[in-house]
Amino acid sequence: MVGETMTHSIMAERLRRSEIFSDLAEADLLAISEFCTEELYREGDLVFQEGQPADRLLVVERGKLALEKKVQLGRHSTPRNATIGYVGPGKMAGFSSLATPHEYSTSVVCIEPTRLIMVDGVALRAYLEANPAAGIKVMKTLSALIGDRYRGAINTLTYFLSIVSHELRSPLAAVENYLQTILGGYAGELIPKQERMLKRSLLRVIELRSLIGDVVDLARLRPEQIQADFEWFDPSEVGTESIEDARLLAAEKGVRIRVEPPPRFEPIVGARRRMRQVFTNLLNNAIKFSPPNSTVVFRARFEPQVMIFEVEDEGPGIPEEDLPHVFKDFFRGSGTSETAGAGLGLSIASKIVEAHNGEILIHNLEEETGKTGTRFTVRIPRNLKTPEMRRQEWMEQENSRKGP
Amino acid sequence: MEKRPYILIVDDDPDILEGILTILETQPYRTATARDGKKCMEMIAQETPDLLILDLLMPRMDGWGVIREMRNNPAYLKVPIIVLTTVIEDASRRRYELETGMAMDVQDYVQKPARPDDLIQRIERLIAKQQ
Repeated sequence: MVGETMTHSIMAERLRRSEIFSDLAEADLLAISEFCTEELYREGDLVFQEGQPADRLLVVERGKLALEKKVQLGRHSTPRNATIGYVGPGKMAGFSSLATPHEYSTSVVCIEPTRLIMVDGVALRAYLEANPAAGIKVMKTLSALIGDRYRGAINTLTYFLSIVSHELRSPLAAVENYLQTILGGYAGELIPKQERMLKRSLLRVIELRSLIGDVVDLARLRPEQIQADFEWFDPSEVGTESIEDARLLAAEKGVRIRVEPPPRFEPIVGARRRMRQVFTNLLNNAIKFSPPNSTVVFRARFEPQVMIFEVEDEGPGIPEEDLPHVFKDFFRGSGTSETAGAGLGLSIASKIVEAHNGEILIHNLEEETGKTGTRFTVRIPRNLKTPEMRRQEWMEQENSRKGP
Repeated sequence: MEKRPYILIVDDDPDILEGILTILETQPYRTATARDGKKCMEMIAQETPDLLILDLLMPRMDGWGVIREMRNNPAYLKVPIIVLTTVIEDASRRRYELETGMAMDVQDYVQKPARPDDLIQRIERLIAKQQ
């Protein structure tokens, strides 16, 4: 029919103006036009719903759409929608209809009166499979679009984390500073009850500060970032700092920290601040699960190839079924509901140790000693190289390759 | 003439300032405060402090800017600086080096919040060295 052909050629022309179909040949555009329809939406209309099966994709002709994602902070708060991006004329949304699991990854909401070209995703998929040349062109554009969105997301995350980190840390630092000042007796005498309550407050604030640090770290703990900070350091100094970090929590719980150092410390290469985090997290973890008036042992020794650190507690031990999950983000073991923490300490420790080509091992002590308890063993290789050492090595290799 | 060492504390957070002042009031020092880097430089021009306690993230002129100005001015080259900030030391030194091409010449670096007794010790040490 003449009329229909007309409509298809008009639709094909409109498709050509869209980012995703702009590279396609006339014949492809005409074929795709057959399963396109024009739709009008009003401000506030929901076009796609996050999580629903994705069977259509759209191109905006006129107007503006918002991509929204449901965000829920904590398990009990009301879910809210966060806008993660906008789609304007010529741009598309709904690429989930072309990729498994064919489920919309965001909701799409109209924020202006909008005219859309709605494309049947199932038919488009079939067409692109049958016409690989067109398929490759569309997928190329699509992967560029997705790449852009991914980079945008990473940038937002990094920016968000740096803001969160500073904006949350600053007020907390002020509160902690006041508490320390008052508890130090610099602002007058305290009665014992006041002192006890302020000590508790300080502990809770420190907990919150380290939680913020952990959340921010989680996004920054890439191995190459950690390795860029490799330097020579004295492990005994770092160990002492970690004990100092954990001292307050230990005192609060009435847990003793017994240190078993090697006869002599030797410097090793590693990310100094990160290693302190590993020991502090392991010590805090051990103290958290220790019964009152028990002892946590912090031990270090050297072997020819590795330096070994061990942290032992007299806690209940880790149930067999929890062992594979202990180092996962946000994992909290069964029976830990009484214990504070977000479940990030051990996963951070393990990421840091991995970046050092080392390993963390967990051992239930009951078989060995007849008493409950857990031992974490950290093994750090002694042949790690600082960036400067790696650079030197590279230069030497280059020189020997070039010859005299 | 006033013999007590003069310490200038620079931070945009009034609560941090009050906390530190409360700690230092118990010590034999004269203190003054500034809320940003520009004000800090003005006050230094009026009287050179024996020690500067400096935050980094501040409006108008940040702490890195203050360090750069002081280290480029022979009159203030020798004033000891304690950086007191929430910024992690590695990141902070890297930023300074990238911006100035020089190592960050400060005498001490403390991540907030400082423990009062520890801060007092660090101050004592630098003041003693100075005299």
